Amino acid sequence: MMKILLIEDQIELSDNITEFLASVGIFCDACTNCFDAQDKLLINSYDSIVLDIMLPDGTGLELIDVIKKNQSKCNILIISAKGSLGDKIEGLELGADDYLTKPFHLAELHARLKALYRRNQLGGSDVLTFNEIQVNPENLQALINQTLLDLTKKEFDLLLFFLTNKDRVLGRQAIVQHLWGDYTDDLANFDFVYQHIKNLRKKICQAGGKDYIETVYGIGYKFNTSPEK
Amino acid sequence: MKLINQFTIWYLGISIIVFLIGGLLIFYKLESEIDFEQGKELERQLDRYAKKMETLENPERLRKDRLEIKELPADQAMIPFQSGDTLAWHEPLEQIERQVKAGKSYLVNGRHFYMSTYNIMIESNDITETVVQTMVAIFLMLLIFIAVTSRLVSKRILQPFHQSLNRIKNFSFKDNQPLEFEPTKTEEFEKLHDFLNKMSIRLLSDYKVVKEFSENLSHEIQTPIAVASGKLELLLNSPINNQQANWIAAAYNANEKMTKIVNSLATLAKLENQEFEGSQSIDLSRLIADCLKEYEELMGIKNITLHQQLTPSVKIDMHPNMAEMLINNLLSNAIKHNESPGYIYLEVNNKCLIIKNKGPKPTGNVTEYLKRFKKGNPMSESIGLGLSIVQQICRIHGYILDYTFINEEHQITIQLQN
Repeated sequence: MMKILLIEDQIELSDNITEFLASVGIFCDACTNCFDAQDKLLINSYDSIVLDIMLPDGTGLELIDVIKKNQSKCNILIISAKGSLGDKIEGLELGADDYLTKPFHLAELHARLKALYRRNQLGGSDVLTFNEIQVNPENLQALINQTLLDLTKKEFDLLLFFLTNKDRVLGRQAIVQHLWGDYTDDLANFDFVYQHIKNLRKKICQAGGKDYIETVYGIGYKFNTSPEK
Repeated sequence: MKLINQFTIWYLGISIIVFLIGGLLIFYKLESEIDFEQGKELERQLDRYAKKMETLENPERLRKDRLEIKELPADQAMIPFQSGDTLAWHEPLEQIERQVKAGKSYLVNGRHFYMSTYNIMIESNDITETVVQTMVAIFLMLLIFIAVTSRLVSKRILQPFHQSLNRIKNFSFKDNQPLEFEPTKTEEFEKLHDFLNKMSIRLLSDYKVVKEFSENLSHEIQTPIAVASGKLELLLNSPINNQQANWIAAAYNANEKMTKIVNSLATLAKLENQEFEGSQSIDLSRLIADCLKEYEELMGIKNITLHQQLTPSVKIDMHPNMAEMLINNLLSNAIKHNESPGYIYLEVNNKCLIIKNKGPKPTGNVTEYLKRFKKGNPMSESIGLGLSIVQQICRIHGYILDYTFINEEHQITIQLQN
């Protein structure tokens, strides 16, 4: 089981993240300031740290050093409302592994944490398997019953996103943000998401897989592990 | 026209008027003074003749061409000295000339004589000539003197002005320093400096307020939005009925939209506050080509054909983030408001950037779209700030943006050189 430390001073936000991660089976330890964080870092060991930059008793950037000293194998994911390029670059230079701008989708945070975990802790050799579907993030291959699916990069990302967030409703906006990042965000045309999902479903079905992805009207899509059909 | 030249011209103009009036005054004064002195001289002459007459037996002997002697009855009242001008034959010049004539009566040895004499007057033409010549000479001297000295003096006097101008030019919100000036002796400059100093302090504090507001807005509002969106995400995955799902979906979408509006407004505020400093030379053609790669897939999905005419290595000076924003907003706008199947025509050269796309007929004037929150289709998901951002970037760099709708075609032209 993955174990992470969340350092975030906004209790409400912290609660959201803890609850969400608990529901997907990640143990989440939370604290609200640098002082407590240093205590926790000395006592426990974590797979990942989710770190806010603006903290009441310092900046998260200062903590990166402490984390690197105590828990060298640990991943650091910075979350910050400051979308400034400077913070991002500084954080990554200091040794953070990823950066997420607030506000973000919880599903996105989950996907990023999983990706970091696979890359660093499992050496990228993790293959996600669900029933007849096998996905290998390292070589970007997806198999249905051992048949290779011919997926585009976006479709592959989409499938991986669904598999990481099984049985959860994914808003279209969350999918847009995951696939296109912040820049194309304004392009907010959900036709694009629809097209990709349509193609992905078609390809999975053609290869003999079940149609797991269902539309949640008005909101988005869901990878349903027990489809009715 | 330079201030000093205006001053000089006014000064010289006034000088001409003064010189004209002065010349006339001098002319009349000179003429009357000469007449007066001539009269006096004639009186002295007459006095001398009268003295001589006392010694002579026959006063008539004194009479010559310029001296008239008339004997008057002894009981007649004495005629005091009088002078005037008259026209008389002038021997040496052999013509009639204006002459000054003076007369006075004397008592010589008990007899009453009236003696009068005349002399040629100094001609007014001569006086005029002298006056005009002198005046012109003085005026020319003045002209040269002013032309030379005014330049030197104005440099000295206007030096604080040029200094202040430089300071104003270098004023930047980034430095957060109000305008300070060295004290000068000129009262007007002091007033101006005082005013500018107060104005700059005011500007800086206003700027700070606006900046803090936009920073607070973009920073502080993110957290509540994130909290709300997280709760909605959790709620979506809890057991709910269809109606509840719809309500949550509506709240969720509204929240998403709020995020976008805040982000775009924060970007606009950043642009307006000139927070993007540090322009670099950007290869616009390459940037466009790179961005196009990102959008290839979206254009494919929407069945949009791309026609491009990119002149290689078109360079512009811009902050890299801004350049990216500009191109991204233009491209996503052209894709968003396209038809399916549709097309995009993109051209860039050293003079301008043109982007054309097929699209629905606008309901009003297309330039309205450049304003904030104006959209062609009120139902669309977009928030209507994309083109405002494009326009703001153009304004900062002095590019001229033109938006037209002709023949079912939206066209945005950005003049890169003006």
